[in-house]
Amino acid sequence: MPLELLLILVVGGISAIALLLHLSGRSQPKVMTEPEAREAWFRQFPENPVVDLTLAKDGHAALIQTADGSAPLGLVWSFGADTVARFLEGAKLSPCQQGLQLRLADFSAPTVQLHLGQAEAALWQELIEGPSSPQPRKQEV
Amino acid sequence: MDTVSFPDVTQLAVPIFIAAILGEFLWIALKGRGGRYETRDAVTSLIMGAGSVASGILLGFIAWGFFMVLWEITPLDLGTSVWVIILCFVLDDLRYYWVHRFGHRIRWVWASHVNHHSSQHYNLTTALRQTWTGTFTFMMVVRAPLVLFGFHPALVLFVGGINLVYQFWIHTEAIGKMPRWFEAVMNTPSHHRAHHGRNPRYLDCNYAGVFIIWDKMFGTFVPEQEHDPVDYGLVYNIATFNPLRVAFHEWVAIYRDMTLPGLSLKQRLLYALAPPGYSHDGSRDTSETIKAKHLARQPQDSGTPGF
Repeated sequence: MPLELLLILVVGGISAIALLLHLSGRSQPKVMTEPEAREAWFRQFPENPVVDLTLAKDGHAALIQTADGSAPLGLVWSFGADTVARFLEGAKLSPCQQGLQLRLADFSAPTVQLHLGQAEAALWQELIEGPSSPQPRKQEV
Repeated sequence: MDTVSFPDVTQLAVPIFIAAILGEFLWIALKGRGGRYETRDAVTSLIMGAGSVASGILLGFIAWGFFMVLWEITPLDLGTSVWVIILCFVLDDLRYYWVHRFGHRIRWVWASHVNHHSSQHYNLTTALRQTWTGTFTFMMVVRAPLVLFGFHPALVLFVGGINLVYQFWIHTEAIGKMPRWFEAVMNTPSHHRAHHGRNPRYLDCNYAGVFIIWDKMFGTFVPEQEHDPVDYGLVYNIATFNPLRVAFHEWVAIYRDMTLPGLSLKQRLLYALAPPGYSHDGSRDTSETIKAKHLARQPQDSGTPGF
């Protein structure tokens, strides 16, 4: 197959599929409920049960405190239609227009954009950076 | 003058790939079942596929040069009759089984293959989420015996291409089970779904390309279980749609591990060559420890397929 034709097929094919998926609503990030966030954490870290969970108002992320009090906070967040989770060890937090941005020391999960209101962002910042052990809002599971 | 040549079937199949993806998506959209699509996930998979073709065009000369050197050395020439092509196809599928098995059990090779498993979706675009770095695994040496036994390098690459094209259609949830005889001999969507599972049960199983019989022969076959739906993706899922990060994240991780301070030479080498999950201090999980921990939580699964 001539290279030019292959290039047209590939670029055209990817563009057409992307457009079709986007226009049919396949670009919406997953919105989690508390049980779903807990399940998403368990899916990644079955040995680290959730003790406290703080769900973002938009349902796109949740802060996790595990039973191991010495472990750093965890974060589970929407990744496309799915979720991913990480402990926030070595994470760098910075405020931004949408809320907070987390930079993780992980090449496969470099940054997380948290869409939070002003008050919510302040609370999350306190939970993540707080000098004493964090006190998430939600009741124990 | 060497005049043996075969078509590049993977390039020729590109229009079929695109049409089939559109067909699968429409089927899912109309029926409301049979899989999931997500825009960025699908686009990432497709870009990985395009990059893999580009990588083959740019770096393919290395493997080709290696095979042609072997072809010059070998005194054998089996020709290109139909029976030789069929025999080459079957033997190359056995070659694929072992390369694929190495791809899951040797971290250096896993670094190349991991991107194929990095989607949490399982649809026809996932089939195209292919490696850009296969040349650097040096797995072309596993093809060397075929050339040395007298199969022309062009034929070996041709049947390898057919093998890859076959594997395209099995990356779907739209097909449940094939007829029993077919499931017994061939790799199918059901068998390959299990291979893509991150559930402890499905780790390191069903390495087959075309014929599932290799897994049955070598003890790695695990049938898909209705009561344990496949959870697609990696044990430790990545959180990026950036194709460069998808392609290179495990290579970066190997580099970081191998350059940790205070390790012995053996430990540094094991970070590259041991199975994924190896750590010098035992702080990480391998497939074996993940399965063992699962059985500690769910002892009733002991003795069932995959455990």
